[in-house]
Amino acid sequence: MLPCNYACNTADHATTRRAFLGSAVGATAALGMAGFANPAHAAELKKAQKRVLVIFLEGGVSQLETWDPKPNTDTGGPFKAIQTSVAGTSICELLPLSAKQMHRIALVRSLNSQTDDHGVGHNVMLTGRKMEPGIVYPHLGAVSARLLGSNANALPGHIRILPKGGSGFNGADATFLGPKFASVGLGDGKPPADLFRPGNLTATEDDERDAFRKRLDQRFAKSRKSAATDAYTESFTQAERVVKQAAVFDVDKEPAKIADKYGRHDFGRHMLLARRLLEAGVTYVKVSHSNYDTHHENFDFHIEQLGEFDRPFAALLDDLADRGMLDSTLVVVMSEMGRTPRINDRYGRDHWGRAWSVALAGAGIKGGAVVGKTNANGTAIADREVWSGHLFHTYLQAVGLDSTKNFYPNERPVPIADPKAAAITEVLA
Amino acid sequence: MSALSRFVAAVALLAFAGPILGADPLHARIDKQIAAGFGANAKHIAPRAGDDEFLRRVYLDLVGTTPTVAELNEFLADSAKDKRAKLIDKLLASPGHARRMAWHLDVMLMERGADSKVPRAAWEAYLVAAFAENKPYDALVRELLSADGSDPKTRPAAKFFLDRNLEPHAVTKDIGRIFLGRNMQCAQCHDHPTVDDYKQADYYGIQAFLNRSFLFPNANVPTAVIAEKAEGDVSFMSVFDKNKKLNSTAPRMPGGKPIEEPKAEKGKEYKVAPAANVKPVPTYSRREQLAGAVTSAENKAFARNAANRVWAMMMGRGIVHPVDVDHGNNRPSHPELLNELAAEFVAHKYDMKWLVREIALSDVYQRSSETPAGLDDPPADRYLVAIMKPLTPEQFAYAAMQATGHTDAERAALGAKWTEAQLDARLAPRLGPFRAMLGRGGDATADTFSSTLDQTLFLKYGSAVRGLLTPRAGNLTDRLNKITNPDAVADELFAAVFSRRPTADERKDVADALKNTTDRGKTINEMVWALVASAEFRFNH
Repeated sequence: MLPCNYACNTADHATTRRAFLGSAVGATAALGMAGFANPAHAAELKKAQKRVLVIFLEGGVSQLETWDPKPNTDTGGPFKAIQTSVAGTSICELLPLSAKQMHRIALVRSLNSQTDDHGVGHNVMLTGRKMEPGIVYPHLGAVSARLLGSNANALPGHIRILPKGGSGFNGADATFLGPKFASVGLGDGKPPADLFRPGNLTATEDDERDAFRKRLDQRFAKSRKSAATDAYTESFTQAERVVKQAAVFDVDKEPAKIADKYGRHDFGRHMLLARRLLEAGVTYVKVSHSNYDTHHENFDFHIEQLGEFDRPFAALLDDLADRGMLDSTLVVVMSEMGRTPRINDRYGRDHWGRAWSVALAGAGIKGGAVVGKTNANGTAIADREVWSGHLFHTYLQAVGLDSTKNFYPNERPVPIADPKAAAITEVLA
Repeated sequence: MSALSRFVAAVALLAFAGPILGADPLHARIDKQIAAGFGANAKHIAPRAGDDEFLRRVYLDLVGTTPTVAELNEFLADSAKDKRAKLIDKLLASPGHARRMAWHLDVMLMERGADSKVPRAAWEAYLVAAFAENKPYDALVRELLSADGSDPKTRPAAKFFLDRNLEPHAVTKDIGRIFLGRNMQCAQCHDHPTVDDYKQADYYGIQAFLNRSFLFPNANVPTAVIAEKAEGDVSFMSVFDKNKKLNSTAPRMPGGKPIEEPKAEKGKEYKVAPAANVKPVPTYSRREQLAGAVTSAENKAFARNAANRVWAMMMGRGIVHPVDVDHGNNRPSHPELLNELAAEFVAHKYDMKWLVREIALSDVYQRSSETPAGLDDPPADRYLVAIMKPLTPEQFAYAAMQATGHTDAERAALGAKWTEAQLDARLAPRLGPFRAMLGRGGDATADTFSSTLDQTLFLKYGSAVRGLLTPRAGNLTDRLNKITNPDAVADELFAAVFSRRPTADERKDVADALKNTTDRGKTINEMVWALVASAEFRFNH
């Protein structure tokens, strides 16, 4: 069949699309939803606001070395399974601290994501859709920022913390939802350079020049005013609000005691930054941990990687709970795929999307639930097969959204989540 | 000439679709057509723009930047009645006009995509040369649609195809949008469900010109050229068709007749037969028919869309708006005017400069953008008030360089024998960050403009703008530092950045700021930034 863009990107429907985005013409991007709440209500809103944290184990984490161990089988590898805080549920011994959190965690052990490719897997897991020619679906981060974004916050609603690389705005992950919901990427947790006042411009000077600009704009608006000029002048007000909160991005402001709990390494720091951002009102944060693509020496690498993962992950769940945020924050540990049960001749495991696991915790999640089963040596799903579309519904419903509704880009209904799938209700509280 | 012979001459010329003799000049007819559409708002039309307002607008529209302080002063002091027309002619004759039109055509044709096969410098040089010689628009488009990239001399023209990798749907869609004003993307899969004019067969009729063409040796090679096979037809079925009937069409323009194709003699289909690592050359080329078909007089959509796009560039919205949504359910705001613009554009042999000039001379172009009292939220498509157009990234960069005196300083550094080309070579390298940041996602029109957080932070804290504020010999902050009288500071500041005189209130603001400061240089720097970051500067008003 011919590739067809059902959401025809014609300017035909541009106006409707903007109206759909629920903002004035030209509302500024990446700022959460337009408009500001009365500060008196801010605390109340903060409590009610739901957030999403995705911890993405890049490269494809082994389900056997994490959530679905198969000790003493031909595929099991050298590690033991250990008891967790939930009777009857065991996980791999490489996650001792996570094991103590299991009463907060739900496992889905029967995921068939139907791809063994890094790029496709990444996309499928974050969009809950198979890739189709002609339409590109927005990522979970953009969907969350769009549907959960709070009026009370000026910070970007969609942030990705990356292991390394540069920082920048406007990830290509919001598609038809518009640039307002595209991600801001923080390479090694560092914010984009222009977010900070340059060193040779003092705060006073900055305020003075902006006050001068405002006076000019107010005079100009008396006789010349349009939606576009309003959007432009308003964008400075919103930028100023973000700049004033720039310290949110500075993880060094956290007490040493807390930083120690997360671990004094890059991933620990990135996880702490994630919590800091979520606490400040950012709707969605994705933290990537790299790299689990263990075609060689799978076991050594998983000792190393999961050793780094286990402490900050457990610390984060405790920290969120201590701050009263766990009930309103959905935490998902996912990857672009799992790894083959078969151990190859380099002691590695290869790409595997057919039967692997995802962990969920926090908002709307029934802690301790385990859904689905693989067979004795993990080579096939034995019960309750689900795929990424089911998970996408589940994430949204966990944070109180109706995932069966539609977006309307270009006046055409595009279901928020794949209509062929439904939420995995067994993990929902 | 007697009335009769004039009549005869007019008829004779009309028969050849020549300019209409004896009729009012086009700019006067534009004003008549627009005035006919005022309706109940006729009493609330904005007055003619002041000289300063007109000057800034026409500089930005015709040469892509703002005037120097000297040019502003000279124009305001000129008492000649025809000074606006003279200025328009001067700007149209200057090298800056070719540069501005090259910027415009670049974005219109390539939509800020990545440069993959034709480097930016060669492409821009090609466009600038085309506008410097005022190449007729139909001739330009014929070059774009016929170059195959194999001749280094004409390879830049092949950018439209090459940088789209000749991807069949991308080029079909973009030929429809960019040259015919019809976004037929929906017709890729089915007749448009709500727009009767867009048929699936029309879409594939365009594609049939190109379905035998491909990139040789392949799309991954940066030096690839366009090659063609001698056989192959388009086939399509509607996704709505339960019978799944497969259709086909010969090459044709939407609504036009199919191109008659010669029957290939068996064994003589190719001039160069396909073989491994050989670029085939068919005896009969479908692709070679495309340029003629798009630009032919029978294909009315071509001139209509071109005229509408020039209008939109100047006026801030198309008569058909958006410019690529020309169909029965999206009526032109002024249908007769659009017909007239298109017919005159053809009659003047697709002379872009002529059309730009006529629009610039019209009253509707020269109207003020200040909303008159009693008019609330004027409907944009009636042109009661001039529409404020966001500056393109290129206009913003060049205007910012002019406003901050960076251009003046560069010109001075070149010495007395400076040329426009030398100056441009010094300014153009600064375009990069402005294009990358402000041009993301294509250029906005007045009704799609937005400023994202990163774009605003770029203007607020980014080094591209701040770098222009540091005092250096002859630039604005340097000049202002040397002026002691606060009123004179205000005059120079507002003339340089806003191309106008300051009001009494604005003079007072400047004086107050200078009176209270402990660091005069910094305060001057802050004020320049504030003007550059203001809405008045961000828009062509």
